[in-house]
Amino acid sequence: MRRWPLPAAQATFGASKRKRKQMRLGFNFTLGDTYDMAQRLMAEGHIDYCEFLIDNFFCVDPDELAKAFDCPIGLHIMYSKFLEADRPTLVDFAARLKDYIDALNPIYVSDHILRFSHEGRAFFHLGEIDYSAEYEFVRDKVLEWQDIVGQRIHFENYPSIMDGGVEAPAFFERLMKDTGAGVLFDASNAVCSHRNCGTPFDAWRNVIAAAQHFHVAGYRQSLIEPFISLDTHAEQLAPDTLDFLANFRSVFDKPGATMTYERDDQIEFDAIVADLKLLRNLFGQPQEGRHDLAVSA
Amino acid sequence: MTLLSLPSRIDRDLYPALMSPELNAKYPTDHKAFVRIDVSLRIYWHTLFDICPELLELSGPDGMSIFRPFMAWAGEKKLAFDWSYYLWVYVWLRQSQFKDRLLADGKYLRSIMAASAARWAILDRGRSRGIVIGCADTTDLVIGWKCRSVRVGREIELIEPEEPLPAPSDIFGYFTLPAFELNVFPGWQGLAR
Ligand SMILES: [Fe+2]
Ligand SMILES: [Fe+2]
Repeated sequence: MRRWPLPAAQATFGASKRKRKQMRLGFNFTLGDTYDMAQRLMAEGHIDYCEFLIDNFFCVDPDELAKAFDCPIGLHIMYSKFLEADRPTLVDFAARLKDYIDALNPIYVSDHILRFSHEGRAFFHLGEIDYSAEYEFVRDKVLEWQDIVGQRIHFENYPSIMDGGVEAPAFFERLMKDTGAGVLFDASNAVCSHRNCGTPFDAWRNVIAAAQHFHVAGYRQSLIEPFISLDTHAEQLAPDTLDFLANFRSVFDKPGATMTYERDDQIEFDAIVADLKLLRNLFGQPQEGRHDLAVSA
Repeated sequence: MTLLSLPSRIDRDLYPALMSPELNAKYPTDHKAFVRIDVSLRIYWHTLFDICPELLELSGPDGMSIFRPFMAWAGEKKLAFDWSYYLWVYVWLRQSQFKDRLLADGKYLRSIMAASAARWAILDRGRSRGIVIGCADTTDLVIGWKCRSVRVGREIELIEPEEPLPAPSDIFGYFTLPAFELNVFPGWQGLAR
């Protein structure tokens, strides 16, 4: 058999193909009625872990929760409201959270940088912060919240609508540096921000490179014009979201990387599997087992 | 696109308008700020009428004869829009043109009490397991239980007690339950605004 030397470009391609695939895929588990579906996604190998919206389950026994899924678990906090709540409330919230951290040994703990209310009145569509004017305030709250919980927390980026959203990438970069916090980078939120206020994908490069944990979901347009894109978790992945992931694939993928596919509405098994397959094709089947994910945590 | 004299660079510029149809109307409809506020207001609308569709029988299909004046009234009263959102809608309806039709059929009150109990069970992050809501217009009680097991979501119960509890002093009262059992009556708490 004759062997031909490969041209340089192909040789590189060959080498990168051999690189370990590491991105694990997960599904968000927010309420009991998707339990069977999440189990099936796991059994059929479409996902490698589950992300619990953990404060929805604060009245479920931590051991019951730990036994419910035989897979690694990520924790996503929805209503700590750590920017607005007083310290005793946060201390109590963290005390309950710690019971679940102890029982579940999660891959990560994540939360949101959001406004839940204005002058004591609740938003039903949550508000984005002012990245430049509120930086110091948020930084101090993040430090305090991580201190109360007793561990590093990964904070999710917002699906920006108004133009101030372009300041988010620099804000999160600075926040990571100053507080040691992680970013739970929601790729489709960045797509919404790109569509709504022109935030360049490349502005997120350092954030994505530093992040280990990711979200992705569908979005939809507003019902009235001028159209804005809304992070709805009810649709299939959009072409521009998939392009973004493909273009930045090597920045996303890294040891211990996870990507949670979020779906909270129009929960149809086949449609979800179709999207998960697209993500698998894009990132490849991770070459380490579930076990390694727990260990790398 | 119309030039906008109101500040609208960042979301925070719009916070007060996110819950106010009147303030939304001050923004030109072809501006992104208008759409962003509209998105927010639609969620208040859907939170009310998707969960209590009976109310559309009173208002007509677009709900606006309830929604707009209620939101304006809630703004004046600076209502917190917490789990008691629906109960305040009932308080408003009770002093509106809809009062007689509202009181003529118990289904509106039942739906409203169940909606608020469910909202508490979904959103409250305190240590209580359940909430009991009572109303001066009925001896029935509605209980909302938080999610207590992985496979079961929140649960809502309607109770028709053989021996009614004393009526709350305001239109509505509530108390919370420290365990998954209804075995205490600590007295009614009034709704916080
Ligand atoms: Fe989130
Ligand atoms: Fe997300």
